[in-house]
Amino acid sequence: MAGLFERIVNLDRRWIFLIVLLSVATPIVIPIGLPVTTTGPTRAAFEFIEALHEGDVVLISFDYGPSSAPENDPMAEAVMRQCALKKLRFIVCALYPLGGLGLANNVVAKITGELPNLRDGVDYVNLGYKDGPAAVMRRMGDDIAGAFPTDVHGKPISEIPLMKGVHDLRQVKLVFTAATSLIGEWWITQVHPQVGIPVIIGPTAVSAPKYYAYLNSGQLVGMVGGMKGAAEYESLLRARYPQLATFYTTTRAFTATKGMDGQTVLHTVILLLLVLGNVAYLRQRRASAKARA
Amino acid sequence: MNLEFGRVTLVILFAIVPIVGFFLGLRAPALRSRIPIFVGVFAGLIPILSMYVPRKFIAGPTGMSPRLDQWLIILAGFALLLGIANVLQNNTRKISRREKGWPFSVVLLIGLFVTGGFGIYGGISGQGIGIAADGTPTPFQYVTNWFFQPLQSTIFSLLAFFMASAAFRAFRARNTEATILLVAAVLIMMGRVPLLELLAVPIPSLQPAAAFASQGLGKLTEWIMQTPNGAAQAGIIIGAALGAASMALRVILGIERGYLGLGKGD
Amino acid sequence: MHPPEIGVWIAAFLTIACLTFLYKDNPFFRFAESLFAGVSLGYYVGIVLNQTLLPNLIAPMREHFGQNWDLVVPGLLGVLLYMRYAPKIGWVSRYALAIYVTYYIGLDFTRRIHGEVLPQLARAIQPLSSFDRATFFSLVYVLGVFSVLVYFFFSKEQGPITRRISRLGIWFLMISFGAAFGFTVMGRVALLIGRLNFLILDWIYPTLGI
Repeated sequence: MAGLFERIVNLDRRWIFLIVLLSVATPIVIPIGLPVTTTGPTRAAFEFIEALHEGDVVLISFDYGPSSAPENDPMAEAVMRQCALKKLRFIVCALYPLGGLGLANNVVAKITGELPNLRDGVDYVNLGYKDGPAAVMRRMGDDIAGAFPTDVHGKPISEIPLMKGVHDLRQVKLVFTAATSLIGEWWITQVHPQVGIPVIIGPTAVSAPKYYAYLNSGQLVGMVGGMKGAAEYESLLRARYPQLATFYTTTRAFTATKGMDGQTVLHTVILLLLVLGNVAYLRQRRASAKARA
Repeated sequence: MNLEFGRVTLVILFAIVPIVGFFLGLRAPALRSRIPIFVGVFAGLIPILSMYVPRKFIAGPTGMSPRLDQWLIILAGFALLLGIANVLQNNTRKISRREKGWPFSVVLLIGLFVTGGFGIYGGISGQGIGIAADGTPTPFQYVTNWFFQPLQSTIFSLLAFFMASAAFRAFRARNTEATILLVAAVLIMMGRVPLLELLAVPIPSLQPAAAFASQGLGKLTEWIMQTPNGAAQAGIIIGAALGAASMALRVILGIERGYLGLGKGD
Repeated sequence: MHPPEIGVWIAAFLTIACLTFLYKDNPFFRFAESLFAGVSLGYYVGIVLNQTLLPNLIAPMREHFGQNWDLVVPGLLGVLLYMRYAPKIGWVSRYALAIYVTYYIGLDFTRRIHGEVLPQLARAIQPLSSFDRATFFSLVYVLGVFSVLVYFFFSKEQGPITRRISRLGIWFLMISFGAAFGFTVMGRVALLIGRLNFLILDWIYPTLGI
């Protein structure tokens, strides 16, 4: 038995890589369909947007890149669908330099493809990307056109109907930032004190623990944390808008809900590895203590 | 010509003074570091003062601060590309000297010039770099979709494997603190996913109990995240923020000069 | 089911090339890695030119120079940044660098005070007007915040009392780091799920006609 534990602890890490690969690939090939339970921060985010009125303006900021797209894309899509169904007007911008613009373009194209009634410039506008996020946010607080003189296609802001009543962030009811880095945090710590706008953040799971402090202090009105948070948001959206079920039940489209199967299986595997590793360690420690005594 | 107070002052501070400083610096090398630091003091103080001094000349629509924000958006764009010159230098040297791995430098430069070229073409032609009205991607967006995004996603996804391997090999309950860390990690990992429901999949009669236990675990997880974790994170945020704020003042006032490549006494 | 287009094949090849690193370092991975570095830098060129320089610098000066004459200054400062690569006059880049760094640090200063320190301290100071569960948990919260701050106080040697409070702070930090580890596992796994989803459902299945 001791020999077996020794062998397990000294296993070539490439076997562990294979176990990880199989753990994640299996639920994709054989979906399990595990349930998703919702948590307070995600419910708070969902209900805040539900409480907004038709015609209210929401800013959706793409502050992430392909390195966290499986987590942030589903939540950005879900929020955009919710805004479209509630007839909220939304402004899209991207402040993350390494890939934010491409992802913003793709998500907007996807949602406007699903909901062809959305009119560019009237129901939504894509302002594109801008460098220097801190300076951009500061400028948007007082004058959006000062930071974004045109939309992503090069059309001047003054010619866009949606922007006619929106001079600065004080006319925007909410900022939703899907974020992988500090840029998302700056909406909370820089823009919120500057103009008092409510902020919902959709961070990656890696940075989500930090944002509980901002939730507690009231600087955030909600949080959609990681792929789990996105899956929770999808389940809330499906429950409130049954007509969206088709987008979440086709076998091909990647959704956070489907991703949770793989998360659960791999969590189980990693917990098993943790337990095995620590049991082997404790046995080793006991054996060396006996040897010394 | 728009001669608002804000613009004129900024031009004097950040153009005229540096020009004078350049000519003075040609004659007196000591001024080559002092005058930039002097200019930097104003660049750092203007955004701070605009928050506390709500006067038109600094914080109003025609004041210094709004225009400086717009200038720094442009400057940030130039700064983002700064590393490219360094990369070009290093890789062309590697290729010309046929150093080890030089073919990969060729690949890097091809990637750079092709993608950058598509970006420049998009700008010059007016086509842009996104998706056209008819849904077709521009060449730049095509490279983004099928080269850039898959590469970045996959390289970061390798971390999942290394993290699992590290957890297995290194995560040990060596002392009280490590045990607390391990227990918290296990509880969070169990509470955030429907793990008990997964284990009950082969035993349908246990599924209601698993769902009930999972709910309780989920509530415990949320409490851990909100209260002990929230408290620790708040402490870290306050401590780090105070340190960063004092460092910011040191840099603005020119006490800290490392960012200019200067040591103490330079 | 349509067979996958050429872009999907390219993405699949690059994905597998990156994943081969898990077995061992090899020329396919090095190729993908170098291509990633080059394409990322080229991406920066594209977005900076099209999204910042053209609409915020070049177009305003071209269309309304009288209103935007002062934008010549940030344009020249931006060019000045690159002077650091010129051996004899590299020192002129210090002007642009000083303005860039101190401006963003000035923003950081106000962000830290108004966005981090003050709101977090306000949350930690709670009235003890009633003795219920919420107040008890608030007390736990306050204890956590202050014990962590005591732990991070390195300016003076810690005495017997502060050492004990620090120990409590460390325990709060360990809970937080354990939670962070649990969340990190989720975050990293999510990326892998995304890639495998692409490989299996967007490449293998359509290729096999499933």
